[in-house]
Amino acid sequence: MTRVKRGNIAHKRRKEVLDLTKGFRGSSSKLYRTAQQRTIKALTNSYKDRKIKKREFVKIWVSRINAAVRLSGLNYSNFQNQLKTSKILLNRKICSQIALQDKESFDKLLDFIKI
Amino acid sequence: MAGRPVLRGLVTEGLRFRVVDAKGQVVGRLASQIAKVLTGKDKPTYLPHVDGGDAVVVVNAAQVDFTGRKWDQKLYRWHTGYPGGLKERTARDQLAREPEAVLQKAVMGMLPKNNMRRAMARKLRIFAGPEHGLEGKVELVPLDMPPRALRVKGPVLELEEGFEPFNPEAYYKRFGHRLAAAKAGQ
Repeated sequence: MTRVKRGNIAHKRRKEVLDLTKGFRGSSSKLYRTAQQRTIKALTNSYKDRKIKKREFVKIWVSRINAAVRLSGLNYSNFQNQLKTSKILLNRKICSQIALQDKESFDKLLDFIKI
Repeated sequence: MAGRPVLRGLVTEGLRFRVVDAKGQVVGRLASQIAKVLTGKDKPTYLPHVDGGDAVVVVNAAQVDFTGRKWDQKLYRWHTGYPGGLKERTARDQLAREPEAVLQKAVMGMLPKNNMRRAMARKLRIFAGPEHGLEGKVELVPLDMPPRALRVKGPVLELEEGFEPFNPEAYYKRFGHRLAAAKAGQ
């Protein structure tokens, strides 16, 4: 067999991981072995958190709707109940945006569902 | 919590000040509402990572009330760090020594336990007496407590003359107060 020098193959493999660790603290952005552990953690967390992000936003929308609705004497649970019975399919995101940006329309919505 | 000057540690730019009179208010219920205002949860612009709450000024904090027998039964406990150093003090004593602390502790316990807690707590200024030092310095908006929804109690089982309750212990436990109040009212 002819002699094979491994060249820069290993370097390329490790560089792929190290490129993902830009901005990490200390040796986690410099040393491959620590960087490898940190990237696995980081990628797992980002996978989980893409799903958690959706839940977090719902929590914010609910809090905002609750606050906006309580200014008119209702509370969130009754608001949702009346929304469903009035067959309005607006979701929490849109309701919170309306409450924030277009108070007139939100008041009209409240009048509509109170009947 | 009166520091001198009263507004120390606060950036008043864009901050709304709410005043509330604690006279005759129940501690926990008032604290709950105050904490809500401090966190900004009464605003449709609420964000959990931003401190968007209003500042709250409380007057007459020495005249708050506890329901039940809490003035004698509720204990404030703390440990001095030394062995055997668990100390306690009743609510009545706490009010006598440091009246502002009663409401302060209540509100602190109701704020979210995160990095913003201290900044939120800084916006709360409690005064034991009727005066706060803020007239003319900042614009004050009244904080209205939401109406208290008291439980509607059922009718009192009144006994006619000559009849004794079958289970006096249970009867008087259940209706004792209300019978006495009705008698006093008559």
